[in-house]
Amino acid sequence: MNNKLNAKDLINVGIFTAIYFVLVFAFSMLGVIPIFMPLLCVVVPIIGGVPFMLFLTKVKKFGMILIMSLLTGLLMLLTGMGYFALIVSAVSGLIAEFVIRSGGYKSASKAILTSGIFSIWIWGNYILLFINREAYFATRQSFGQEYIDALTNLTPIWICPVLLVVAFVSGIIGGLFGRVLLKKHFIKAGIV
Amino acid sequence: MQWSILQTDVDARGLVLDPRTKLLLLITMAVFVLGGVGSAKLSFFNPVLCLVPFFLLLLSHRVKTAMVSLLLYILAYLIMLFVVPHTMGLINYLLLGTGVVVMRLLPGILTGMYVLSSTTVSEFTAAMRKIHVSEKLIIPLSVMFRFFPTVIDEYSSIKDAMCMRGVNFGGRNAGKALEYRLVPLMICSVKIGQELSAAALTRGLGGNVHRTNVCRIGFHITDTVVMALCAAPYVGLLLSWCGVL
Amino acid sequence: MIEIENVSFSYANSEDGALSDVSFRVQKGEVVLLCGESGCGKTTITRLINGLIPHYYEGELTGSVRVGELDVTKAELYETARVVGSVFQNPRSQFFCVDTTSEIAFGCENMSLPEDEIRQRIAEAAEDLEVTTLLGRSIFKLSGGEKQRVACASVAAMRPEVLVLDEPTSNLDMVAIKKLRKILLLWKKQGRTIIIAEHRLHWLMDICDRVVYMRCGKVKADCRMQEFVLMGACRFKEMGLRPLYLENLAPRNSCRKEHGESILLSDFSFRYKQAKTLTLDIGGLALPKGGIIAVIGHNGAGKTTFARCLCGLEKSCKGVLKEGGSVQKARQRLKCCYMVMQDVNHQLFTETVLDEVLLSMRKPDEAAAEKILDSLDLLPVRKLHPMSLSGGQKQRVAIASAVASRRDIIIFDEPTSGLDLRHMQEVSENLKQLCGQERSLFIITHDLELIMECCTHILHLENGRVIGNYPLDFEGCKRLELLFGSASVNRGNALESPFENRLQNSGSFKICKHPKAVEKKYMHQNMAN
Repeated sequence: MNNKLNAKDLINVGIFTAIYFVLVFAFSMLGVIPIFMPLLCVVVPIIGGVPFMLFLTKVKKFGMILIMSLLTGLLMLLTGMGYFALIVSAVSGLIAEFVIRSGGYKSASKAILTSGIFSIWIWGNYILLFINREAYFATRQSFGQEYIDALTNLTPIWICPVLLVVAFVSGIIGGLFGRVLLKKHFIKAGIV
Repeated sequence: MQWSILQTDVDARGLVLDPRTKLLLLITMAVFVLGGVGSAKLSFFNPVLCLVPFFLLLLSHRVKTAMVSLLLYILAYLIMLFVVPHTMGLINYLLLGTGVVVMRLLPGILTGMYVLSSTTVSEFTAAMRKIHVSEKLIIPLSVMFRFFPTVIDEYSSIKDAMCMRGVNFGGRNAGKALEYRLVPLMICSVKIGQELSAAALTRGLGGNVHRTNVCRIGFHITDTVVMALCAAPYVGLLLSWCGVL
Repeated sequence: MIEIENVSFSYANSEDGALSDVSFRVQKGEVVLLCGESGCGKTTITRLINGLIPHYYEGELTGSVRVGELDVTKAELYETARVVGSVFQNPRSQFFCVDTTSEIAFGCENMSLPEDEIRQRIAEAAEDLEVTTLLGRSIFKLSGGEKQRVACASVAAMRPEVLVLDEPTSNLDMVAIKKLRKILLLWKKQGRTIIIAEHRLHWLMDICDRVVYMRCGKVKADCRMQEFVLMGACRFKEMGLRPLYLENLAPRNSCRKEHGESILLSDFSFRYKQAKTLTLDIGGLALPKGGIIAVIGHNGAGKTTFARCLCGLEKSCKGVLKEGGSVQKARQRLKCCYMVMQDVNHQLFTETVLDEVLLSMRKPDEAAAEKILDSLDLLPVRKLHPMSLSGGQKQRVAIASAVASRRDIIIFDEPTSGLDLRHMQEVSENLKQLCGQERSLFIITHDLELIMECCTHILHLENGRVIGNYPLDFEGCKRLELLFGSASVNRGNALESPFENRLQNSGSFKICKHPKAVEKKYMHQNMAN
């Protein structure tokens, strides 16, 4: 079987990335209220699991997940959320490719694991809160020292890896959710 | 002017920038405003960069958005300056968090909104070709942009159908409501996708040849101005590393 | 030009549309009409010619298909695309780009033509097909007919020798069909070979040279258009084909007793958020209760807007509905009106057909649900997933949900677009059954035959206003024919042809009575009532 990605595969990637991103974007609107921002790490991967698991049934070659990951990261850059998500998504996408391939593109458990790994891209959006903290806070000298202390308390450094784990676990839950819907609806409807 | 995800009416756009310039602008905003790189010594760049999206929006006739966002930014700044020091506890944290997020993310998001709404898909793909991005990324990208409005349309029809049948988010089990929205959305989108694929393939997509592009893009004076503006913080950063500034 | 030899094909995951030992040839420059009931295999043939079978749709294929020098079953799709251009049924899902100019350029870009040449071809195609005014616009804002013309331009720019069209008029109104006719005539003049698979035959009478009729995957008839045209209306019905002429139809349901009561709409007006003028402006309207009302008008006349407002989906719609003493604003109308949408897939949410019907009921009652399913011949499939059913079955599920909701006003949006004769009649039967003393039906449709089969009243909209509101009696019928008849071709002199004898003797057809005689018969029936 030809392992090169052909036009049909590329179109599929485009379609599913569109569906994925529309859902992600819709639920990200919750994060407009900044308090709910960390919640996005939970909600987005769970909802995103549904289109992603459907997409995985069409993935039989190397590269499709990576492209989807890169496109999602690129969209983050284009919507002004920075390039951090792009860097993270490139790495997580690549790892996800190897994981799904190791299951021969058929294993259900590997598919769910892939969903978890893929979802790590959203953590990339949060890195910006943690890098370069001193330099950032230093500019706000005018606001006073309590401000800097309060902010440092708001975003303790240990939250960073926690969010990563949360994204991964939510991705797994999303994968399970997607799998349930897959069996309940999509397989019977004949679009798998 | 009406908001749309992607610019499709090419006239009456106002300011026209090459997509590559816009990309550079986005990256610059990400580095300096979001990331706060080198902000200690280059603190005067920050406000300038924050104002850039505002001007861009004005120049592309999106006056209302520009005004509203400027107001929001100023409001956040004022709250940070005057209200926060006087509050305690939870309210303090809430206002602080909100203020930080608004001031840090808003300029970037506005730039993003400007870029997405003022660039046509063909311009974007033409720019990607010029910087030698693989076709394997460009084709899915075009399909993706083309498919966004379709997904939204489908979703809107499904929402109407649910409305009519009396199934809403609060009405019955929330999980069910979610399922009722996602399932038809997936199925309809995939079916449209299949037809789209067939139509594209019968028009020759997938050959081994290099695809040409009819869209003309290029750099003009406005691009030079914006690019110089973007280059300035980097230069400043370099100079500060060298100890000059 | 095209040679199909001993081809047998069956889809990998469906039994419909299979072919069994089909052979025929098409000469260069011929225009061939493929017709037959749904599932007869005509779409399959179009897919064989443009290479989608076997490269996109999987299944078992034997036999050979050659287009010109090319063996289509072996050549890659992008090679076939240079020779064979395809236009599909659904305008919404055909286009790849977001704006019209890029869309027309798309095929040429794929062939890697130099940019200047592409620009020239775009201009040429746009001028030939009269879409120059549509250049540089967002495809999402075009109407269905405009989208189809852009799709044709996109294909024309590639200058293929063969053109394959699969039911291109399914979603189009009469005006759009006229424009599509012009395009086909132009292509015929340019000497291209055209294959069209269609249900609606009336607009093709003077375009196609040859007709191939298929049934159950086999070619049952292959004759010149002149011979085909002479087969009478009853023969057409036997073959499961839609009538060739739109003139000799008679309303079948107009003899219903008038109920007497009416539905009144007052001060109905609505404006989209961005619109400067009123999108819908119906001051006062009185419609018969208990009738089947056809809502007609060109695309963009406001029919769907009207339906959505009536239904209560457009919350900002002003105006009230007065019925049987109750006065209902938009929000209340949401509870007493039900709309069966054009794309049924948007309305099917649940796991089984039975659940789907139960969902519509305020108090789920399985026994009642099963009764409804039985009346629509859906009881055998009640445990199946709604999305796995065929198109007609899905529509019946949607109707079942409508019935189960026990609402008094049910609106159908284009229920028969793309359906063949038999299915259209089934839909019509269901609609007639549905309509009762209390229930009123509104049917948005372009399908004249459906209107004649089951409607009792006509509501004609244009630019958001009502320009016609009349019962479908003899007068009404004449008015309708004037409207629809302008697009179909005149019969001309339907003389007996020398071919007729040959065909009669061959045994495969019996030429029916002269069309005029058939018409007289229907007129008599009507007058008697």
